[in-house]
Formats: sequence, structure tokens, C-alpha cells
Amino acid sequence: MFWQTMGYIVRLQFDRAETFRQAYMIGVKSFIVVSITALCTGFAMSLQISRELVTFGADTAIGGVVALALIREIGPITAGVMVAGRVGSSIAAELTTMMVTEQIDALKVMRVDPVKFLVAPRYVAALIMMPTLSTYAMFVGLIAGIIIAKSAANVSPDTFLDSVKQTILDRDFSVHYLKSIINATVIIMFSCAIGLNTRGGAEDVGIATTRAIVWTMISIFILNYVVTAVTYAPR
Amino acid sequence: MPKTHEEPILEIVNIHKAFGDRQVLKGVSFQVFAGEMLGLIGPSGCGKSTLLKIICGLLEPDEGEVIKRSDDIGLVFQGSALLNSLTVRDNLAIALERKHYSKAEQDAVIKEKLKLVGLGDFFDAYPTSLSGGQQKRTSFARAIVNDPAIILYDEPTTGLDPVMSTVIEDYMIELGHKLRPASIVVTHQYSTWSRTTDRVILMHAGKIVWEGDPAEGMTSDNPYMKQFAHATREGPMLAGSV
Repeated sequence: MFWQTMGYIVRLQFDRAETFRQAYMIGVKSFIVVSITALCTGFAMSLQISRELVTFGADTAIGGVVALALIREIGPITAGVMVAGRVGSSIAAELTTMMVTEQIDALKVMRVDPVKFLVAPRYVAALIMMPTLSTYAMFVGLIAGIIIAKSAANVSPDTFLDSVKQTILDRDFSVHYLKSIINATVIIMFSCAIGLNTRGGAEDVGIATTRAIVWTMISIFILNYVVTAVTYAPR
Repeated sequence: MPKTHEEPILEIVNIHKAFGDRQVLKGVSFQVFAGEMLGLIGPSGCGKSTLLKIICGLLEPDEGEVIKRSDDIGLVFQGSALLNSLTVRDNLAIALERKHYSKAEQDAVIKEKLKLVGLGDFFDAYPTSLSGGQQKRTSFARAIVNDPAIILYDEPTTGLDPVMSTVIEDYMIELGHKLRPASIVVTHQYSTWSRTTDRVILMHAGKIVWEGDPAEGMTSDNPYMKQFAHATREGPMLAGSV
């Protein structure tokens, strides 16, 4: 399914209007949940880091450590898990319902490839919106870090941001976006594959939805570790 | 009766199909001609819908072949199978995609077909805002939007009230007269097969057990047809299952 979808995307054979609709569903509608989770994660993480670094007198390094965690791990994971829960489950349920109610069969009879019509627009939308959401989660987390650093460790925002600039490398952003793209691929491919390969009745819609969430989340965590291990392994 | 003087639009040759150990179709063969409406009737589970899916390419037969003189097939699904996220217009436009029409050309064809099924005012409506009968008629419009040479109806009146069933049957008859496709109607509703079809094939346990004029069906001495047409318990259809 992945290569078939890529084939349609490379040849620009996907519905633009449906892609915009999916971008809205995947991205815009996820902003609130991503904001809340990124903010709370940023608060909690910054509080822990501030407390430990102040003990060692390294409070000027708080910004750098918080930013490293956010850019390398927390940003992509938070956005990935939230989108998997909100969007992956919804896609699996929608496509399974379409299978059960013969809507996919109707497309096939009209000689319309469901991968072209349903998967390609969702994948393009996810490829655009996942990095956007990850970046947004990272910035929300940083704002949370600045607030906590000021209130809990009395570190000024300027000091915090100086530490961020000195610590973060270009490679960190590359890895951040690589993880976002992998998350987008895992969420869309798993949920669409499960949705398009389920038959049966109403009960099977629920089973397919649960299966999509479980497999997507497990894969996100495993692949996140693999990318980290490959890109940041000690040499 | 089959029109032997002309070439059939659709030929079903010795089709066999099994799901696991369950043999659903056991050597089914028949022909359908242009302008003919063939009724495929029989009790639930006799293989009618499986055969329809094989004809339109959704399933592959284990043995035998389907010979089609045209690849343009329209299928009216039992549950309408409209895409709920799209308007009535867009549901029909999907079927026109491979014709590379401009939007204006698409709209003209779609309006014409919607008018034909009495839904001219529902161009921008969403399927969820339509009644069951209107959804079924939208499904008809989608099936005929490409002017197919073959139209397949899967239980077109099942689940509808008697009045709406009559309305749908009238549309089927009208479309048959106007478009002259070869049609197959899968049904077990007496009024549907007796009113709309020119010829009827009765299936039981994956085989054809009777074929003839629908009017002859009611007076037939064939034990299967007699039991099915008169809806009685006495006969060979329930043997071993009750």
C-alpha cells in the first residue's frame, strides 16, 4: 500500500480538495489536544529538570536541556501519540465502516482505486501536518519551559533562550522532522491498511479501531527509539 | 426466454466458488442479452449475491469464467453504498472520473441522470439527509451515470416499504426501457421479480434449479419453484436445514 500511495503522490494523482479537508481534520482539529499535552508535558519536564540542575548550580543550562528533550523526543512523540489516538482511530473506524457498508466495493465497481481516492490524500495531509504539529508541540513545550524556569528557578527568558541556542544543533531539527514523517507514515498506513482489510459488522469496526491505535502507538515508540539509536548512538 | 438470435452481453460459464469448506456456487451458467432484465431469485444464502460480486469483479471465481461484451457495469447496492462525506453530485462524479469531463460537462450529465430518477433538486444534498428511497434512487443514478451496458441490482427493494418498493420497481422498468441495458436483478421479493423481470433464474444451494418466464413461475410444477413462488414449507428447499 505504501509504494502504491507513493506512486499516486509522485504522479500528483490525488484529490486536492480531499487533501485540504484531511489536513484540516488531521492538523487543525488536533491543535487543541496537542497544545494541552505539550504544555503539561513541558511544565512537568521543566520542573523536574530545573529542580535537579539548580541543585548542581547549573541553572543556566535549563533551557538547553529542556530544548534538547523537546526537539529530539517529546515534540514528535507528543504530536505522534495525540494524532494516532485522535486521527488514526478515526481513519480506521471510517474506512472499516466504508468496507462494512460496501462503499469501498462501490468505488471498486466504478473502477476507482481506494488507495488513490482514500489513502493518498490522507497521507499527503499527514506529511504536511505532522511536522507542523511536532514543531508546534516543541514551541509550546519551550514556552512552558520558560515559564517554569522563571518561576521555579528564577532563570530569565533571555538566559533560557541563550542556553537553547548554544545547545541545539541543525541535526536535532533534521531528526525531529524525520521522526514526524515516520509518525505520519505509521499512523496513516496502519490505520488505512487495517480499515481497508476488515470485513464484518459493527463489532468489527470497534475491533479494527482498537487494533489500529495499539499497533500505531507501539510502532511510533519502537521507531522513535530506532531513529534515536541510529542518529545519537555514542561513537 | 433467451434471445438466441443475438450475441449475449454477458455470459456466465460454469462458475464455481467456495469460501473455505463451504461450496457457494456449483457450476452456474447463463446468458443475458441487451435490453433484457433477468431476475436471479432464491432463498438467502443460495449464492445470488456472491454471483453478482463475481460478475462485477469484486470476487474471483474458483472455476469458470465471466464473458462481458462491455466493461461498463453499474451496480445498485442493497444498502445504497453512497459515500456519506460527499454530496449527491460528488457521489456521481466519482463514477465519471475516468471520462475526463470538464466540471460543466460532469454537472450536465449528473443533472440529467438525477432528473431521470426524480432527484433533480437534490444535486447538493448529502446522503445522510436523504430518505431510504431517495438514497436508493441516488444509487440508481450513480449506477447509470456512465450509461452502462450492464446494470446489476442487489436486492433493490429489500428493507423498503411496499409503496417505496413499487416506486423503485417503476424506476427499474423505466430505466430498462430508456437505456436498454442488460440487467440482472438479485432479489427474493415476489413483487420485484414478477413485475420487473423478463426472465427468472431460481437458484438453490449454489445451483440453478429452474429458469423461465416470471408468469410461468407461479404455475410451475417444478418443486423448487413451486415452493419458492408460493412461500410454503413443503418442498425440497428446507430439506436438512429445519
